[in-house]
Amino acid sequence: MHISRVQIRNFRNFKSIDVPMSKNSVLIGENRAGKSNFIHALRLVLDTSLPDRSRSLKISDFWDGIEDPFAEGGSSIEIDVDFVGFEANPATHALLADFRIADDHTVARISYRFRPDCEGEPSSEADFDYIIFGGGDETRSVPSKTRKRLVLDVLHALRDAESDLANWRKSPLRPLVEDAFSRIPDSDLVSVSSAIEGAGNALLQLGEITTLEATLRGKLHAIGGPRNDIDAKFGILSTDPSRLASILKLFIDGGSREIGDASLGSANLALLTLQLAEYEWKRAQNEQDFTIIAIEEPEAHLHPQLQRKVFSTLFQENLEAPQSLIVSTHSPNIASVTPFNQIVLLRNCGEDGSIAFSLANLNLAAHEMADLQGYLTTTRAEIFFSSGIIFVEGPSEEALIPAFSATLGHDLDALGITVCSVDGVDFGPYLKLATMLGLPCSVITDWDPIAGGTPLGWARAKKLLLSKRDIQGAAAVTPAQLSRLDTEEGTLRAAARKYNIYLNSSTLEIELSQDPDLADVLLSILSEQTSFGPVLKSRIARYQADHAEIVPEKLMLMIGYVGKGRFSRELEKRIVGIAPPEYIKHAIEHVVAKA
Amino acid sequence: MSGTRALKAAIGSLSQNPEQLLAVNVTDHCVVLAGPGSGKTKTLTTAMVRTLLEDVPEPRGVACITYNNECAFELEKRLSALGLERGTRAFIGTVHGFALSQIILPFARCVFPDWPSDISVISEADRKDVVAQAYASVGGVGDPQNRWKFAETKRKSEIDRSVPAWRDTNPELADFVEAYEGILKARKQIDFDGMPLLAYDMVSRFPWISEALKAKYPVLFVDEYQDLGYALHELVLKLCFESGIRLFAVGDIDQSIYGFAGAEPSLLEGLSARADVQTIRLRFNYRCGTDIIDASMAALGAERGYVGPDNAGKGAIRFHQVDGDDNAQAKYVLESILPDLQSRGYKLGEIGVLYRWAKHSDNLVSIAEAQGIPVVRADNKALIKRNSPVSRFVERCAQWVVGGWKNADPRFQRLCYDASSLVYGGTASDDEKRQMEHELITFLTPMDGAASTHSWLLDFKRDILSPWFARKRTISEHWDNLDEMIGRTDPAKKGGADLKMAQFCGDSSGTGAINLSTFHSSKGREFRAVILLGMNKDVIPNWRSNNDPNKMNAERREFYVAVTRAEQELHVVFQKGHYSVFVRELYDRTQQNK
Repeated sequence: MHISRVQIRNFRNFKSIDVPMSKNSVLIGENRAGKSNFIHALRLVLDTSLPDRSRSLKISDFWDGIEDPFAEGGSSIEIDVDFVGFEANPATHALLADFRIADDHTVARISYRFRPDCEGEPSSEADFDYIIFGGGDETRSVPSKTRKRLVLDVLHALRDAESDLANWRKSPLRPLVEDAFSRIPDSDLVSVSSAIEGAGNALLQLGEITTLEATLRGKLHAIGGPRNDIDAKFGILSTDPSRLASILKLFIDGGSREIGDASLGSANLALLTLQLAEYEWKRAQNEQDFTIIAIEEPEAHLHPQLQRKVFSTLFQENLEAPQSLIVSTHSPNIASVTPFNQIVLLRNCGEDGSIAFSLANLNLAAHEMADLQGYLTTTRAEIFFSSGIIFVEGPSEEALIPAFSATLGHDLDALGITVCSVDGVDFGPYLKLATMLGLPCSVITDWDPIAGGTPLGWARAKKLLLSKRDIQGAAAVTPAQLSRLDTEEGTLRAAARKYNIYLNSSTLEIELSQDPDLADVLLSILSEQTSFGPVLKSRIARYQADHAEIVPEKLMLMIGYVGKGRFSRELEKRIVGIAPPEYIKHAIEHVVAKA
Repeated sequence: MSGTRALKAAIGSLSQNPEQLLAVNVTDHCVVLAGPGSGKTKTLTTAMVRTLLEDVPEPRGVACITYNNECAFELEKRLSALGLERGTRAFIGTVHGFALSQIILPFARCVFPDWPSDISVISEADRKDVVAQAYASVGGVGDPQNRWKFAETKRKSEIDRSVPAWRDTNPELADFVEAYEGILKARKQIDFDGMPLLAYDMVSRFPWISEALKAKYPVLFVDEYQDLGYALHELVLKLCFESGIRLFAVGDIDQSIYGFAGAEPSLLEGLSARADVQTIRLRFNYRCGTDIIDASMAALGAERGYVGPDNAGKGAIRFHQVDGDDNAQAKYVLESILPDLQSRGYKLGEIGVLYRWAKHSDNLVSIAEAQGIPVVRADNKALIKRNSPVSRFVERCAQWVVGGWKNADPRFQRLCYDASSLVYGGTASDDEKRQMEHELITFLTPMDGAASTHSWLLDFKRDILSPWFARKRTISEHWDNLDEMIGRTDPAKKGGADLKMAQFCGDSSGTGAINLSTFHSSKGREFRAVILLGMNKDVIPNWRSNNDPNKMNAERREFYVAVTRAEQELHVVFQKGHYSVFVRELYDRTQQNK
């Protein structure tokens, strides 16, 4: 079972969001994007530990865009949580069977409403009340039993892990240890207890201790006089067999340090692990049937490698267990190990409130998924935090675009725009990802003419623009349109531009060489290559004298000798202040305008 | 659940009865055949609690289907004594309640796109109109209501309409039924007989519904299986033998007396003959004296081998021939048998007078009223319909105000629970429950037992039932029962006698009142002394049954049920020289035993 969909309307950051969810979900977003509010919305529906007082919201909890929550009969805050897969387990099935929605019996829904509950127009907060119901039908009240057995527990950010662990009453370790103890035969407990008592008594018999005890007793006796003697004695803590569990402590570093002395990171990690074990234990005790664990910003105390290790393990292991994780984070490290379909991106979109983009329904072939995942598992999960993406063919463009943007007066980093190289693979999945994340993007790609054939860029651009139309839900193109795209270069280029796919007429370097200023920079880098022989040197000199002399194939060959990567790094330094070719300029300007 | 201790005690008390013990512990499909007084309810409730504690972990539960609300009340009471509180993990209700609240209301909207959200149950009067309309629409001639009796039988007994037989035999009746159902549907209404049919249709067409039921209720208990008819039987076959819900059915073929309502004893026989069903027969009769047990088998015309426990008394059977009509017999009962019983320590509340038809008691009632002998009717002329949740709720509220509030009998929480079931059918929100609680506690002010029932009922209607009726979400309760009670307690109509509250709610401290009941309504009850009134030739069996062995057997079973209500004494009253053939058989057996 898992939460398959969450809808929130008129609540805090959210005007209206409708978010497909996976078994585990990672809420990614900058501060103030609404991550905590999203989790709080789930608590309003599911968390029985939330007191009624908190469940009854305030007028200030309405979405800011609602000028007057009292107007027109009053607005309502609406939260719907859908579950699927509950039929796989008889217990969750029994809990949710009556809350199926009318139009799809495989989906069960639990809803929360905060809305006017009065005769006539509401006039104060007191006229509003909340209601929780199932199946999308307000008359189907959800018994507290159901919500007690479908547990939502929130592990808050920056919680005090050390004191939680140190406090035996609150410690998640307690039920586990007590359970283990309850299975130890009494006779064993009694013999351990008497052994401890024996050792303790031996300690009390040691001369140093008896001497100290006698000294202290003497002093106490002297100071208070015989009538006020408090009869002090050394002893050891209780060894009652029934209380042995409480003398057990968890140590770290092979027993040398108490858990309380651990770094904040280790303590948090220990607490998280113990808590997961506690939930498992509670399910085994049949106290609950399903646990939804919301972990807020766990990155606070974990260093990057640990973030990646811990969460890639959790996301994998958790797939089988009757529990779901909902992790909120602004850590690219956690984002990078999150399987795609678990990502929910929250972004503050100003007037429309925060918008959620979920990849739960991202539909990609396995190899496409692998490509994208490969891209992200390197350190580039930052695209989730970007405000726009410029997709390029390879490292050369990736290096040059930020420099060209600077010339155009745009600081891409400051704008949050990412330049993403697909390294020669298909742009398609990337485009799909960006579109589903609601990110403005453009594609810069080469025309790649080949001798005696159709340029490679033609088919590539055509495929991309068709798939982009598809993602955007445009109607299929007619056969006539298709044939024009196949035969008319002008039509193809115009159509590609319309879908923000920007084409040159050859390859990047050739294109650069067409511009006089850029050609100068290009040739000056080549001319400085000490490894080039006299033939090349004279060819470079000839090109420098007259740009019309440049033969593209030979130019590319020489750049190849330098190495494309090295060449573009050199180029990046020198193009400052030089305007980019038109197609690059358009690609940059498009994303900058939308970001 | 806290019931472990109570369960252990209950199981412990079965140690002298190996069959009961076996039934309680069985974990496969099981049919318990249980004669009169055999402790079947105890077996059933103990098995239910054991199943909940040992076989069915939270949050799943068990469902128990019974013949009527009366049986459901009784089961709830017994279960509560075993530590199982109402409304927790057990559904207990009638076939109609099960079909409606567990299948139709939760799931119909998922499978029928045009399912109306405001469906209601058709009233009896409207139903007759619909029958007439339907009959006209299929071009029927003659009395539609009369013809409907045949159509209704077809409808109740041919459950699976996908088989050719539905249309092949009596196609004009099939048309009639379908026209009737079509009109109901257009009116956004459903009738009681239609509930199990619709439930069966849904379960057979959408397997996920069976799965949902199995998730909620992996074990299904059915009480009084012999009374429940074809629709339930087909539903049980689907749920239990196709979808894997475990069945625990209890019944007694010999006590099948609701043939007129569509019951058919052979269904239980067929069930118990299945290879995958374990059949357990309970042998002991803890109710009746041994002579009565023995004679009852003569009445039945079949030997079942029932025996009393070792410490059972013999009991006594007396025959009283009265030279006169119904009135003379009634007089005889009140003036001869009654004083005799009272002189031997029998209290009025321990005596049951049973008769075939409600009309047979009219004379008795008027003589008793004239002589000031308290009586309480449990037939269809009863003031408080035992089978009606609304009536029973009113009764309990009355009990509370005339004194029940002092020792919490009934408990106020019970009243609140009943109220929320009546009005919201278990879907009440906390606010709604709080509001009802407030309304109830405000209305239910303690009053003297001598107060007028009629005016209290009028207040009850104005302050409680009318507002509730306006906001109710349940669709199947008989709310008009209150109006009937108001009408019948009206002093203006009863010639000035104003029924006292104490009498109304049966608070007859001391000796109680004589119980009057038809044979049909006496099922499930027991009395220290039973008087069978008017056991004349042609009353039972009816002359129409003489040439029909099936009908004859049905009448025989009715007589058997009446005879087996008696614990210690059975008195058979008939017109001299006009005794029933069943009386003769009974008499002959008692003579043999001498």
